[in-house]
Amino acid sequence: MSVIAPNFKLSEFIKSLLDNIFWIILLLVLIGIPAVMMVLFFIEMPVIDGELLTPFLALTWLADPSRILPVIKAFMATDIFRVMAFPGFGFAALLAAGTIFVERKMLAKLQLRVGPFYCGKFEGILQLMGDGLKLISKEIIIPAKADKPIFWAAPVLFVAAAAAFVAFIPVAPGWVVADVEMGLLGVFAVIGFFPIITILSAWSANSKFPFIGGIRALFQMVSFEIPLILSLLGVVMLTGSLNLSQIAASQSSFPWIVFLPVGAIVFFITMLAELERIPFDLPEAESEIVAGWLTELSGMMYGLVQLGTYLKLYAFAALFVVIFLGGWNGPMVVPPFPPELLEGIELGPVVAGPFPGLPLFDQAMLNGTLWFVLKTVAVIFFILLPRGVFPRIRVDMLLNLGWTKLIGLAFVNIFIALGLLYAGVLGPGGLQ
Amino acid sequence: MSTETENPPADAKPEVKSPPPKPAPKKPEAPPVELPAFEKGISDKLVEKFGDKVEVGFVKEDRVRINVGREDVHDVAEFIRDELNYDHVESVSGVDYPQDNEIEVVYHIGSYTESSLARQILVLATRAQRETNPIPGNDATKLPTLRDVFYSVEFHEREVFEMFGVFFDGHPDNRRLLLPEDWADLPPLRKDFAIKGR
Amino acid sequence: MTFTLPPGLALKKVDERIMTLNVGPQHPGSGHMRIIVQIDGDYIVACDPDPGYVHRGEEKMAEYRNYITNIPHLERPVIHDSCNVLYPYVLGAEELLGIEVPERAKYVRVIASELNRCIYIMYWLAIYGIFLGHSTMFMWPAGDRELLIDLMEKMTGARVTHAHFVPGGVRNDLPPNFEDVCLRQVNYFEKRIKEYAAVFYDNPILISRTKDTGILSRQDAIRYGTTGSVLRASGVDYDLRVKEPYDVYDELDVHTNVMKEGDSYARSRVPWLDMMESCNIIRQALQKMPKSGSVRVKLKPNPKTKGLESVYKRVESGRGSLGCYIVSDAKPEPYRVKMSVPSFRNLIALPNLLRGEKLGNMPSVYWSLNYWPVEADR
Repeated sequence: MSVIAPNFKLSEFIKSLLDNIFWIILLLVLIGIPAVMMVLFFIEMPVIDGELLTPFLALTWLADPSRILPVIKAFMATDIFRVMAFPGFGFAALLAAGTIFVERKMLAKLQLRVGPFYCGKFEGILQLMGDGLKLISKEIIIPAKADKPIFWAAPVLFVAAAAAFVAFIPVAPGWVVADVEMGLLGVFAVIGFFPIITILSAWSANSKFPFIGGIRALFQMVSFEIPLILSLLGVVMLTGSLNLSQIAASQSSFPWIVFLPVGAIVFFITMLAELERIPFDLPEAESEIVAGWLTELSGMMYGLVQLGTYLKLYAFAALFVVIFLGGWNGPMVVPPFPPELLEGIELGPVVAGPFPGLPLFDQAMLNGTLWFVLKTVAVIFFILLPRGVFPRIRVDMLLNLGWTKLIGLAFVNIFIALGLLYAGVLGPGGLQ
Repeated sequence: MSTETENPPADAKPEVKSPPPKPAPKKPEAPPVELPAFEKGISDKLVEKFGDKVEVGFVKEDRVRINVGREDVHDVAEFIRDELNYDHVESVSGVDYPQDNEIEVVYHIGSYTESSLARQILVLATRAQRETNPIPGNDATKLPTLRDVFYSVEFHEREVFEMFGVFFDGHPDNRRLLLPEDWADLPPLRKDFAIKGR
Repeated sequence: MTFTLPPGLALKKVDERIMTLNVGPQHPGSGHMRIIVQIDGDYIVACDPDPGYVHRGEEKMAEYRNYITNIPHLERPVIHDSCNVLYPYVLGAEELLGIEVPERAKYVRVIASELNRCIYIMYWLAIYGIFLGHSTMFMWPAGDRELLIDLMEKMTGARVTHAHFVPGGVRNDLPPNFEDVCLRQVNYFEKRIKEYAAVFYDNPILISRTKDTGILSRQDAIRYGTTGSVLRASGVDYDLRVKEPYDVYDELDVHTNVMKEGDSYARSRVPWLDMMESCNIIRQALQKMPKSGSVRVKLKPNPKTKGLESVYKRVESGRGSLGCYIVSDAKPEPYRVKMSVPSFRNLIALPNLLRGEKLGNMPSVYWSLNYWPVEADR
């Protein structure tokens, strides 16, 4: 007899479970399956292996799961898959979630503590899920004098802008959501949204600490965008292209960081500032202005901004990889697929397969993704590292750094690139 | 107005100390029946200057206590700062004496600059009239401020004002410090403010 | 509608450019106090500290309890430095009650007080680190502090609120084998805090942030009556352990750490140097301590003093000179206990230091004053 449910009886509990199962099956059979059939009847179904995918055929997947493979492969060729799952949002969110966990554990090891430990059986691996559930279940409190539509929209816009940034990143040859000719300019345009969203969110909260934080974020992001753009121009000159896929493909023999280390350093520092990471986390300096522009955000609004922040972190790290570290290029380490997979597996008298649709990915794509992820994780590690080492910088020192030293170094980088170009080391007639 | 017993020789417990290894300003070991010479010199200077306006409370090892009337405390404090080279106030304490109908304010004055005074604390005590029904700031419980003499008394005097209701005339910032802004009871360190249940 | 406000609520009309920020009491960068900061752009034009959010009336409570039962609550203002905050009260009560302390007890007191100073400074340093956004510097001191807390637990039985000093000595004798454990842990602790230089005190960002900010000149430090590390960072060589040695400090070789700069960096570095000095003192005291003997003079219950007399005793605590003024009137309870605490004395420098500083310097300047809000409020 627990106190919470004083009239608990096991038999009634089991009966209620069985009742629920009964009703679910009944409703599914009577309403659910007919409804699915009707919908499938009216929408246009794809043609797979020369055979129109009929509702009947679709239902046979229940009997033979291997027949779903062609459908998945067809789905993977669609844009919606690219946006939602692989090179786009889902992949980035997965890496971002991993980043949060790695950050907490790594920082904990650096600071001689254990970090998340209890949630999940192993080393607090489910801590992030617990945090997410907590954030979802928390009440969202809007300040009474806030400008409510903008205040509501800002976290969503923030995530949207971060996801738009992710869309430009080529992960493997041909695997990119938006393969536009002016990809790098698009990246700059998306980056330009962040200070606007930040200041809108901060201003609409109608509170002092968010306002100061928003102003600081505006200063910081705007003043660091100039060295950010300038530091990437060297690569653009050498490549002659603004398309990120072409920039990545141009580094098949050597990455650009070999020739343009100054630009890489400038880009890395500006990246830290754009991401509001320590030592540049002034807009969220908690000992001065509580949590900066995040002060009035509560519950899942805060969670969305955090998601956006880490998506942005992934996107910046990936941009660094694509531009300076050679993107997906790397030695082929993925072994070729075993021939049984393509021709079918003999199990005594029975031959299983060949399964149409296998393999889902080709070898080059898997290898490219592997190298890309490895490099991105390494860059993310170096982005996380300063948090355990440096204190926070001050806003005047930050602006001084951005407007004088970094811009100067970015121009030095441009001159190096021009020198390499005109000396004939690189470009037409040179190494590449 | 002296409630301090003037029997320092009886009180002065012989402090057994080995000779210090540091060049700390040590005076010669005074025999227990005599007043310590250095401290006696300080109190003598004050008595010489102000005559019977000051009253020597006690002269002990490292501690000299001077009782002053409230009208002379400012002059004495200026003399202490300018002539005796004391430079800061360590503590300002109020002590409530309901039986005398007075509130004593005690300044503990020390010196950082004068190395011979590093051990010394000059206790400057003065008394304000006590009101049975205090209206802090608007009654006769007033003293001249020493903030223009010793800057360091600023917060201490604010504290004494809220805790005892002693208003310091001329203090630039006579606001509450520790108590809540809406405190409407007696000043809490007066003896007639009783803790509930005690 | 017109009505007169009480003096504490007097409103001031301010310029429209100027924004008033309430830093605290629910602010991660204020502690238990409120700093009303008026900023013009990024510059602080006025600052009004408003302590009192943890005022517990320790002085009033002390008038209702006798000299022994006052001990556990008088250490509450700074539980991390509880031995030092009790020290002047215990010294004063001993003088009023006419007690002579055994020699071994004096050494035990010195060791406990130096360990407590380190514990306090480690806690202070941890918060200084996090105020500057240096989270590693928050975790490391907070973890290494455990070493000394364990030592204090061995010695007194309690981890933070020891209530170890009593009039007449200390409550318990040292546990067996304490000297060896203490020496080992203090040596390790000293080695460990020396490593902080690499991550914190030599960190270029920290230096560029705290150098030349919040400069307190020597004259001002004296005029404001500041004390402890704030005073010594401004170039005044004043340490009560040297200048007015109490208990057995005159038999130990105490070095005073003085820095000339008077900026936030110096104020943050002097306590760190003080910790190493404390380790030295502990080693000396362990060596010179009588190996056996009584550590406590038994008192009668409710001891009474002779008559209406007063005593002012002061010690050098982790934050500076801590004085206790006791007035007694031949009763078991003191007539008045006033604690002149260093945090309260250092607070007066805050408005003067912050005026004209940037808002970003506020946490570093504020916390470099070695200010402990609970202690200032008592």
